[in-house]
Amino acid sequence: MAVSMQYYLLLSAAIFCIGVFGVLSRRNALVFLMSVELMLNAANINLVAFSYHWGNLTGQVFSLFTMALAAAEVAVGIGIILVLYRNFKGVDVTDATTMRW
Amino acid sequence: MATAFQYVPAIPLLPFAAFLISLLVGYFAPRLLPKGGALPGIAATAGSLLLSVWAFLTVSDGQYYNETIYTWVAGDAMPFELTFGLLVDPLAAMMLVIVSLVAFLVHVFSLGYMNDEGETGLPRYYAGLGLFTFSMLAFVVADNLLMAFMFFELVGLCSYLLIGFWFREEGPPSAAKKAFLVTRFGDYFFLIGVVGIFATFGTAAFAGEGAFPVLAEHVLNPAAEGHANTFGFEPTTWFSILGLLVLGGVIGKSAQFPLHTWLPDAMEGPTPVSALIHAATMVAAGVYLVARMYGFYALLPTVLALIALTGAFTALFAASMGVVKDEIKQVLAYSTISQYGYIMLGLGVGGYIAGSFHLLTHAIFKALLFLGAGSVIIAMHHNENMWDMGGLKERMPVTYYTFLSGSLALAGIIPFAGFWSKDEVLYEALIYGMGTDGLTGTLLLVAYAMGLLAVFFTGFYTFRMVFLTFHGEPRTDTAREPHGVRWNVKGPLVVLGILAATVGLVNMGPVAHLTGSDSLLYLHHWLEHGVGAAQYEAYHHALNEFAGFHAADLSPIVPGAVSLALALAGAGLAHMLYNTASPTEHTEKLGAAKTLLYNNYYQDEFQVWLATGVTLPLARIADKFDQGVVDGVVNAVSSVSLFSGSRLKRVQDGVVTHYATMLTIGLVVLLVAFGLVGGWF
Repeated sequence: MAVSMQYYLLLSAAIFCIGVFGVLSRRNALVFLMSVELMLNAANINLVAFSYHWGNLTGQVFSLFTMALAAAEVAVGIGIILVLYRNFKGVDVTDATTMRW
Repeated sequence: MATAFQYVPAIPLLPFAAFLISLLVGYFAPRLLPKGGALPGIAATAGSLLLSVWAFLTVSDGQYYNETIYTWVAGDAMPFELTFGLLVDPLAAMMLVIVSLVAFLVHVFSLGYMNDEGETGLPRYYAGLGLFTFSMLAFVVADNLLMAFMFFELVGLCSYLLIGFWFREEGPPSAAKKAFLVTRFGDYFFLIGVVGIFATFGTAAFAGEGAFPVLAEHVLNPAAEGHANTFGFEPTTWFSILGLLVLGGVIGKSAQFPLHTWLPDAMEGPTPVSALIHAATMVAAGVYLVARMYGFYALLPTVLALIALTGAFTALFAASMGVVKDEIKQVLAYSTISQYGYIMLGLGVGGYIAGSFHLLTHAIFKALLFLGAGSVIIAMHHNENMWDMGGLKERMPVTYYTFLSGSLALAGIIPFAGFWSKDEVLYEALIYGMGTDGLTGTLLLVAYAMGLLAVFFTGFYTFRMVFLTFHGEPRTDTAREPHGVRWNVKGPLVVLGILAATVGLVNMGPVAHLTGSDSLLYLHHWLEHGVGAAQYEAYHHALNEFAGFHAADLSPIVPGAVSLALALAGAGLAHMLYNTASPTEHTEKLGAAKTLLYNNYYQDEFQVWLATGVTLPLARIADKFDQGVVDGVVNAVSSVSLFSGSRLKRVQDGVVTHYATMLTIGLVVLLVAFGLVGGWF
């Protein structure tokens, strides 16, 4: 018994909004990273759901790519956070404001 | 056959080679250059002279040359071609011989004036002379107006370089700048004229099938189907505008009123330079140009009358200033201006041959007078004041007799060269003035009267100069013991002295009339021919048909006698006043006129006033507009962007969260906007 399409979309939208909320409201860089993961996975849900709905595997293949990309992004993000910690003695993104006018 | 014409390009190129030798060897290995570069120059000008004479003889056989030798701008998209070419007809051949002869003699004379006097910087001097000779000869053989313009500018540059030869002194650099700027003022109009002629006719060739004077005649001739782009003007009006624009360059270069002020100052340069450039050749470039495109001017009665009036007025005006000058070269400078006025008068009244004839004789006798003055200046240890001279007649007889020959020619005393040519100019002015109806005829007669009056002044200042310099008792120690001059000074003087006495015999108008034999008018017959329509017959036809100039039938004897009598009266007055053992100044008797004449009619002051009183305020206003309005707009735009940028940049505060917020808000706003426009809701 298949779950109807709109539930997937609602789930995806909810997860995406949680991710956006996390990026906008939190100051911890690690939470930032996790929020970005949430947003990416919201997109993945969409891809897989539509793929299933239309019976086309392309979307699922793409979600695999997205996961690989997310892993790479985490690696880079963790690296940036380490440097941030080293330079600003913390992982608060609002401290690192030297790149401005 | 026609081999002479194959060598015509070499006539200007030989002096160019001499220029390169003087310049390069003089710079890199001055020790290898004997006589400071004089010898290459003498060899090159001698070669040019021989080739010119050869071309002259070939032209005398009735063969002419009119070829394009190099096209430097052409193409399908171009309405015209820009070319270099050679035109050798009787007029050009005559001028080639004059220029190369005078250039050769001046090079020889420079050995005495520059080398023997121990001048430094001689390679620079000879390089300048070489470049000048090259440009002048190339100007003479130019077959189109643009090429003529280019070499016209180049001779102006050489004039500037050579006037300012003694650049460490105060006067010469300033005189050089003045000469350059004043002639450039006229050349500016000339340049516009060249562009206008290209735009109107699509060609600037002087002679041949599609030459611009021919095209202009076809436009004006109702029988011919000619058309040209006249920019909405009547063809005659537009052609007159073009003629006047080109005339601007002529007036500047030939030192005609009101652009004559540079020439007296140009006497700051070395005297051989004055003889070559500021008497015989470069100043002649202006009037030569009028003669070269005479087919065009002959169609335009208004312009012709203006040329005649300018020339006659300049002749009188400059002669009156020459009367009071104390320095020998100044007198000669004003007489040069005055004599070029006569040539302009001759050309303006329709006397193409008379004008060219006076151009020929004047080049010879004025070069002679300048070289004679140079000899006197050597003898006087570079003191040019005539009141410090006197009695040089016994001490330097060669200079005296040659100078006298030149003076008799200048004053127009029979049978010296100047008499025949000046008389013919005045005679042409009289017959065309009497034969032409209406206002133009009256103007020509006015011009004749001014020219005739100037004859008296010419006789007076010429002999005042001769008597003050050579007669009476020596007035200073230098005049008692003058510095001797050598063969290299005397040689050119003798050659030119003989020519000044005899060259007028090539065209003895009054004698031909008396004897009733036309064959005495050698020059007349010789100059009559030309390439295509660029010849006397066509000019004469154009003068009668289009300009409405007609010659009255009059014997040349009486006008000749009148001008001779006036010249003799002037010379006689000078004899009475100045040919005494110790002459005194008589200028006081002139009263207020003396101050006016000494100050050259305040022409310099007037021009300075024009610059500081009119141009400068105008320039200030333009500057205000530029600084205030034009720059103001630019500055306002930049300060508005600077200010808004300085405020807007605060958005970039470095907090990542804010950036993310802006991204999100931006996306939402875009979505809402697309939704509203696309009608999703």
